[in-house]
Amino acid sequence: MRMRTRILWVTTALTGATVVVALSMAVLVAQAPAGGKKALPQTATSTDAAIKASEDAFKKSLELKNYTVPKKPWGEPDLSGVWLTATYTRLQRPEELGDKEFFTEAEAIAEYKKAAESDAEVDPRTVHYDWKEYAMDAWQGGATPNLRTSLIVDPKNGRLPPLTPEAQQRRAAAAAAAKQQDPMLGIRTFGNLYTRCVLGLGALPLVRGGMPGADSAAAAAGVTAEAFFFQSPGYVTIVMQSNNDVRIIPTDNRAHAPSQVRQWLGDSRGHWEGNTLVVETTNFNDPKPAAHFLGSTDSLSIVERFTRVGPNTMRYQYTVTDPRTWTRPWSVDATMPRIDPSMIYEFACHEQNYGLINVVTGTQIRFREGTRDLRGNGAPE
Amino acid sequence: MRMRWTAVSTLVAALAVAWAASIQGQAPAAPPAARQAPAAPRPAAAPAARPAAGARTDDGRPNLNGIWQAVNTANWDIEAHQAEAGPHNDIMGAWGSQPAGMGIVEGGTIPYKPEALKKKQDNFKNRMLVKVSNDPHRFDTGDTELQCFRPGVPRANYMPFPFQIFQNRDQILMVYEYKGSMRTIFMDKHQDAPVDSWMGWSNGRWEGDTLVVDVTGFNGHQWLDRAGNFLSDTAHVVERWTPRGRDHMMYEAMIEDPAVFTRPWKISFPVYRRLEPNIQLLEFNCVPFVEEMMYTPLGLYNPPNRSSR
Repeated sequence: MRMRTRILWVTTALTGATVVVALSMAVLVAQAPAGGKKALPQTATSTDAAIKASEDAFKKSLELKNYTVPKKPWGEPDLSGVWLTATYTRLQRPEELGDKEFFTEAEAIAEYKKAAESDAEVDPRTVHYDWKEYAMDAWQGGATPNLRTSLIVDPKNGRLPPLTPEAQQRRAAAAAAAKQQDPMLGIRTFGNLYTRCVLGLGALPLVRGGMPGADSAAAAAGVTAEAFFFQSPGYVTIVMQSNNDVRIIPTDNRAHAPSQVRQWLGDSRGHWEGNTLVVETTNFNDPKPAAHFLGSTDSLSIVERFTRVGPNTMRYQYTVTDPRTWTRPWSVDATMPRIDPSMIYEFACHEQNYGLINVVTGTQIRFREGTRDLRGNGAPE
Repeated sequence: MRMRWTAVSTLVAALAVAWAASIQGQAPAAPPAARQAPAAPRPAAAPAARPAAGARTDDGRPNLNGIWQAVNTANWDIEAHQAEAGPHNDIMGAWGSQPAGMGIVEGGTIPYKPEALKKKQDNFKNRMLVKVSNDPHRFDTGDTELQCFRPGVPRANYMPFPFQIFQNRDQILMVYEYKGSMRTIFMDKHQDAPVDSWMGWSNGRWEGDTLVVDVTGFNGHQWLDRAGNFLSDTAHVVERWTPRGRDHMMYEAMIEDPAVFTRPWKISFPVYRRLEPNIQLLEFNCVPFVEEMMYTPLGLYNPPNRSSR
């Protein structure tokens, strides 16, 4: 079991300057392991042991063919448990890999090893918290190697499709507004839904791709990346460890809620296609000044496909459509390992969001410093 | 453990006949092989594919799956109370006023210790106090509901919002529309609360057809209503959920908190199944609704006026 920490991670581009300030703040949380006397497993502290364990899990998952998924007593395939959404695999294929869709097994393991070791490294110049200390690096939590060179499988080049002209304009306008209005100065214009505790990380879609080598575990692979699948007749309910975001998915393919009912996590409807749970989510709200996944709008729709392909492996495919953002739909093919224990803890984020006060206050101070610096009249306060 | 459960399930399955026939008056208990079949059809608008709210689950327990809601005014005051103008009737008028209610406290009065009663009265005076700080003093303020904090147990069960019960053999998940708060009730693996929390730690068991939930591990910030009734971190709540028919059940909670009360006391009220064919839990993510109230006093909500410096 793991310690969990609410992480507030903010990157702020300061007005008129190219300075990027990264503030990492961890606030509270403290989930002591149940019966917490047990020593941490070796995989939690030793990179080598963890990489070895991940390799073994990976090889084991490759060996499994024709797995027969167990059924719930009421007849539906059993997807229940906690599935890890953290991955070091990039969303987009690095351009130097061209059309190479798959690694060899050995290459996949080497990639994983490189990513895990880089994640485990601590740069004393940038570190505020060593995530390892909280057992929150993905290699400590069960992330596994991946044969795929990118999560995106369509388009074929493994890259996001081009933005629509509207999305390009939106992006340019947001960048211009950021320069003029100092949007990071107040919570209202802050835009970071995670830091505000409005949403957790990655409730939809669940697997978003890592940035191996990034100095934040959140960016490297994902933190508090546990998705608890609770199954009961006619429903699959997903409770995220991050912010305890809840998605209730009825599996009878009923009609969507009326289009006036817009939600942060949209409106999910599921049905079974054989052993695969297919979920379509629409009715996203307009979250201005923030945006949905990768800058998408309330026109977003996501179709997810969940297939348990092994006792500890869930295949997770999704297709993203937003005609106001991308020139065509795009699709991901990922896997999620199952991890123990099969539960999540309370994540009372807003209740003790000390970090928001500190982050916004700090940003205000930085802004004032930046302004003074620009006018050349004085040292930081 | 498993064997004991099996024995209990068998017993309960045997009793299901009597229960389903006598209490439900419909959907005679199916033989084990047919239990997955839908029971009595729901109102015509429900699509056939939707699992019917049968009397029993596959393991013979009362089937609590569904969306439920209490219909009372306990969230304003769990004790009996008259109608009152709200704290801001200058602008909120009838919208912001408090409806009367008979209360849900058995015996009518909460047995506070004298010093705790004083705190309850102070709480009421300060119920709209919002004073955000980045230290634990942020909890020395008014009603938690006002600030979109988790409501705790039992309060979550009588807030004027629906909640949904998801039930399987090992765990029961309760999701509350207010704030999307949730709690897991562990039916299989009981343990002491590993950490304090707002919603507490819930260990559940069946006593006949009553779901009994033992809740501990509170963090001490829970308010029971807008009137300032409260629990401390030594609170121990034992809930009893007893179906009285397919579409309603009685809820009871025995509340014990030696730091606050002179003796254990009890609340009780019915909860009703929401029967609208299109009912679903919707989001009430109140965080964005309270940011202006909470962070404006700190100068953090809107960008501060730069020329005033």
